[in-house]
Amino acid sequence: MSEPLLRVENLTMHYTTRAGDVKAVDDVSFTLAQGDSLGLVGESGCGKTSVALTLLRLMPDNAKILRGKVWLGDTELLSLPYEEMRKIRWNRISMIFQAAMNSLNPVYRVGDQIIEALNTHIGVMSIDQARQRVAELFELVGLDPALMDRYPHEFSGGMRQRAVIAMALSCNPDLIIADEPTTALDVIVQDRVLRQLEEVQAKLGMSMIYISHDIAVIAEVSNRIGVMYAGQMAEIADSIEIFERPLHPYTFALMGSFPSIKGKKHALEPLPGEPPNLISPPSGCRFHPRCSRATEQCKNEVPIFRDYGNNHFAACWHPLEV
Amino acid sequence: MRNYLIKRLAQNVLTFFLFLTIVYFVMDAQPGDFADIYLSNPRLTAEQRQALRASMGLDQPVYVRYVLWLRDFFQGDLGISFSNYPRPVLDVIAERAPRTLTLFLTSTLVSFYLGFSAGKVLAWRRGGLLEYVATVGGVTLYTVFTPWFGLMMIWIFAYSLRLFPLGKFVDPVLWQSAPVDANYVFVRMLLTALISSVLLFIWLLATQKLDPITKRRTRWIGYIVLLAGIVGYWAFFTSGAAIYALDILRHLILPVMTLALISFAGTMLLTRNSMLETLREDYILTAHAKGLPEKVVRDRHAARNAMLPVVTSLVFALAFALDGGVITETIFSWPGMGLTLLNAAQLEDIPMVIGGLVFTGTLALTAHLAADILYAYLDPRIRYS
Amino acid sequence: MAEKMDLVPSQRSPAGEAAARSTILQTPLWKVRLQLAWRGFKSNAALFAENKIGLIGLAVIVMFALMAAAYPILINTVWDPNIYDPIIGYDFTQVEQPAPPSPAHLLGTDPLGRDVLSQLMYSAASEFALGVVAALVTVIVATTVGAVSAYFGGAIDTIFMRLADIIIMMPFVTVLIVLSVLFEIRMLHLALIIGILAGFGGDAIVIKSQALTIKVRAYIEAARIAGGSDAHIIFRHIVPNLLPISFLYMMFTVTSAIFSEAVLSFFGLLNIRMSWGLMIHTTSTAGYLLDLQKWWLIFPASIAITMLCAAFYLVGRALDEVVNPRLRKR
Repeated sequence: MSEPLLRVENLTMHYTTRAGDVKAVDDVSFTLAQGDSLGLVGESGCGKTSVALTLLRLMPDNAKILRGKVWLGDTELLSLPYEEMRKIRWNRISMIFQAAMNSLNPVYRVGDQIIEALNTHIGVMSIDQARQRVAELFELVGLDPALMDRYPHEFSGGMRQRAVIAMALSCNPDLIIADEPTTALDVIVQDRVLRQLEEVQAKLGMSMIYISHDIAVIAEVSNRIGVMYAGQMAEIADSIEIFERPLHPYTFALMGSFPSIKGKKHALEPLPGEPPNLISPPSGCRFHPRCSRATEQCKNEVPIFRDYGNNHFAACWHPLEV
Repeated sequence: MRNYLIKRLAQNVLTFFLFLTIVYFVMDAQPGDFADIYLSNPRLTAEQRQALRASMGLDQPVYVRYVLWLRDFFQGDLGISFSNYPRPVLDVIAERAPRTLTLFLTSTLVSFYLGFSAGKVLAWRRGGLLEYVATVGGVTLYTVFTPWFGLMMIWIFAYSLRLFPLGKFVDPVLWQSAPVDANYVFVRMLLTALISSVLLFIWLLATQKLDPITKRRTRWIGYIVLLAGIVGYWAFFTSGAAIYALDILRHLILPVMTLALISFAGTMLLTRNSMLETLREDYILTAHAKGLPEKVVRDRHAARNAMLPVVTSLVFALAFALDGGVITETIFSWPGMGLTLLNAAQLEDIPMVIGGLVFTGTLALTAHLAADILYAYLDPRIRYS
Repeated sequence: MAEKMDLVPSQRSPAGEAAARSTILQTPLWKVRLQLAWRGFKSNAALFAENKIGLIGLAVIVMFALMAAAYPILINTVWDPNIYDPIIGYDFTQVEQPAPPSPAHLLGTDPLGRDVLSQLMYSAASEFALGVVAALVTVIVATTVGAVSAYFGGAIDTIFMRLADIIIMMPFVTVLIVLSVLFEIRMLHLALIIGILAGFGGDAIVIKSQALTIKVRAYIEAARIAGGSDAHIIFRHIVPNLLPISFLYMMFTVTSAIFSEAVLSFFGLLNIRMSWGLMIHTTSTAGYLLDLQKWWLIFPASIAITMLCAAFYLVGRALDEVVNPRLRKR
C-alpha cells in the first residue's frame, strides 16, 4: 500500500467562548489514501467543519489546538510556520465552503479571482496563459468560458457553486475538502453538481473529503465514510462495509433515520435525546446518554478507537457485531 | 449604471430646486425686510417709502417675488453685496470660490485617504492599546474646538517652528510685482489637478489588462510622463506663474493639515466599523484559504468592499468638511467663501450671506453627485445591472 | 388585590391563604415591569462598561455636571458676587486685567476683569441645558418622523426623506450662521433649531430604516388585526422599540449642539450672556487671541468644549456597541 496522503492523529481542538471552552474536536484520528474520497457525516455541530478548518489552519482566533498532528505526505502541518502553510493552502489542499454563493468577492470578476489564485501559487504567467487555464477549468465544471469576465452577482446559485469548484481546482491540489457543497441548492442542481464533482474526481484523480449531514449524498460520492458524533470520530470504514456492517450504535441509528425508496416500508426511528452540550460534554463515551446499549463502562471510560479488520475502525465498548 | 446615474441626476436637480425654495422662504421669513435698511432715514415721507418699496418689488405677494428671485438667480443676478458695495454678489463669489475649492478638495482627499488607511489597519488588529488610543485620539480630534485647534497649529508650526506662514494665502511682498493675479494661478492649479486626475484614471483603466510585471513598468512610465507634462506646463506655459503657485502651495499646507486632521477621524471610525462587518463575510475566509498574503486579503478583498458604505456616507463628511472649512478659513485668514460668508454675517450683509449659502449648497450637491458616481463605479452590482 | 393583603391571617380563607403565600399574585404588575427593566438595564450596563471608552466619557460628563452643580453653591457661600459674578463681576484688587491665575482666581481673569473659573462653571449648566433640550427635541422629532415615514410610506415618506437629504447635505454651522443673520437667536432658540434640524435630518433616516424592520414583525400585524388604530400601533408598539436607537443618536446631537453653540458664540453671532464660546470671543475682540502668554483666556474654555463634546460622543459610541451587537468583540 502506498503512503497515505493525509494522516490525522489525535487532533484535539477547543474554542474559547464567554460561556466556557467548547470541546469541538476531541481526539480525532483518520487516514486518507491517495485518490480516496472520504465522507465525513454527522449531526450539525459535531465538529466536521472544525476538523476541516483545522486542516487548513483557518480556525477563528478563539480556537486552540491542544494536541495532535496532521501529516500531509511527510509534512506536519500544525507545526509549520505561517508562510509555509500559506504555500500549502490551495496549492495542495483547497476547500469549497458551505453556502459557496458568498465565497466569491462581489467586486471582482470571477475569472480574475481564479487568476489571483493561480498567480499566487503557480507563479506569474502571462494574461493569455492564465485565461486559457481558467477557460479549461470552466469547461471542466460545465460552465461557459465566456462567463469568466462576469461578476458573481450575474451568476445563478448553481453556476456560482460550479465556479467555486473550478476555483478550488485551479492549482491542481492533492486534496479538496468540500463542506456541504450542495446544501444551499435545490435538488436538481444538487444532483448536477454532485455528478460534476464525481466526474472531476474521476478525471483528475485527486482525493476528496466530503462533509455533509446528509448520509444519502455521502453514500453516493464517497468510497470511505467517517461518522462523527459530538466532536469525536465514532466509526470509519469503506462505504459498503459501513452500510453492511455498522459497528457503532450511532451509525446504525443514522442509517435508520433516512427513508428509502426501495425495500420495505418501516417507521422512521428518530434518535432519542438531543445533541450534547460541548462545553460540558457527557463523561466517557459522549453518546452514552442516548444509547440503548450503554453500560457503566460507557459512562466512565472513553472508548478506544479500535481496528476491526478490513480498514474498519470504531470507538465503542459494545459494538453491534459483538 | 446609466439608469442609476440619470435617476440620481434628476433627484439632485429636484433637490436643488427644493433647496432654493427653502432658502428663499427662510430669507423671506426674517422679521422686517431689505427695505428697512434703506428706509431708516426718518426724513422720508410716507409716499416716498411706498415708492421705494414698490421699486424694490416689495409690495408684490410672496409667490411673485419668489418667481422673480428664481428668474434673477438663473440669470446670474444674486443681488449686490452691502458690505462690498457696489460689487455684485456673483462677482465676489467668482473671485473667492477657487480658493475655497482648492482648500476643500485638497483637504477632503487627504482626510479621506488618511482616515481610510487608518481605519483599515485599526480593524485588522482588534483590541489592545492601539484601538483605545486611536479611538479616543480620533474622537478628540473630531470633536476638538476647531478654532482653538487651528490656533494651536499656527502656534506650533508657524510661530514656534516657523515652518509655514502665519496665515493668508499669499506672501504680499512676493506678489507685489507679480504679472498675474491670484485667481489666474488658482484656476490653473485647479485645472491641472483635475485634468491630471482624469488622465491618471484613464491610464490606469487602459493598463488594467496587462500581466503584473509589464503592468508595473508601463504604469510607471505613464506616471513619469504625466509628471514631466505638469512640470513642463508650469515652467513654460504660464508666464512665470510657477513661483506664485508654489507660494500658494506653501500657504495651503497648514490649513489643509488642520482641516484634514479634524475630519479624518470620522472616516477612520466608519471604515473600521465597515471593515469589521466585511471581515465576517465568507469571501474573506475563502481569500485566506486561497493562501493569499495578509495584506492582500486586507486591502484587495476586505477594504475594497468595506469602502462602499464609507463612500455612501461621504455626504456627512462633506458637510462636516465645509463647516470646518469656514472655521479654518477664518483662523488662517484664507480669503475664500467661508471667510466671506462669516464677514458678511457679522456685517449683516444679507445678499452676500444668501449668496454664500447658495454657493455652499451647490458645492455640497455637486460633491454629493460625485460621490454617487464614484459609488456606482466601485460597486459592480450597480455598474452592471 | 391590595385590600386582600391587608387581611389579618386568621381572617383569610384557605384559598386566600394560599393566594397570599403565592408571590406571583402578590407582586403587582408595575413592580414586575420594573424588575424586568432593571435586569435589562443591568445587563446593558455591564455591556456598556466592558468598553472603557464609554466609561471615560461618562466620567467626564459627571465631572462637568458636578461643576455645574457646584457653581450656585460657591456663588452663594465662598465667592463674593461682586467679584466673582461671571457676567458683571470685577476684581479691583488686580492691577492689570486680564490677570494671570492666582490663589484668588484659580484660572485668572478675562479682559473685562471677570473670574474665568466662575465663567467656566456657570456656563457648564447652560451647556448641559442646551444639549439636553436639543437632544430631546431631536428624539421626539426624529422618532415621530421616522416612525410615521416607515409606517405610512408613499408620499409622506418621500417628502420627509427628500427633506432629510437636503438637511444632511447642508453644513450645519453654515446654516446656523445664515439663520443668525436673519433672526435673532438666543440659547433656547438655538436648542430648538438644532433639535429640529437634526431631527428632520440624518437621524430621521436612520430611525426610519429601523422602524421599517419593526413594521414587518408579526406583532404589528397582530395589533392591526386586533383593530389597533394607526396612532396606537405607532406610539405603543413601534416607538418603544425605536427608543434605544433614538437614545443613541441623542448623544451625537448633544455633541453637535454644544459644538455649534461654541462656534457661533466665538463668531459673536448669538445673543447670549455667557458661554464657553463667548469667553473665547471676548478674548478675540480684546485682541488676545494669538497671545499665548495669556493662555488662561483660551485654553480652559476650549478644552472644556472639546472634553464635553468628546465625552458625549464617546458615550454614544459605547452605546452603539450595546445597541448594535455586530460591533462587539467576541
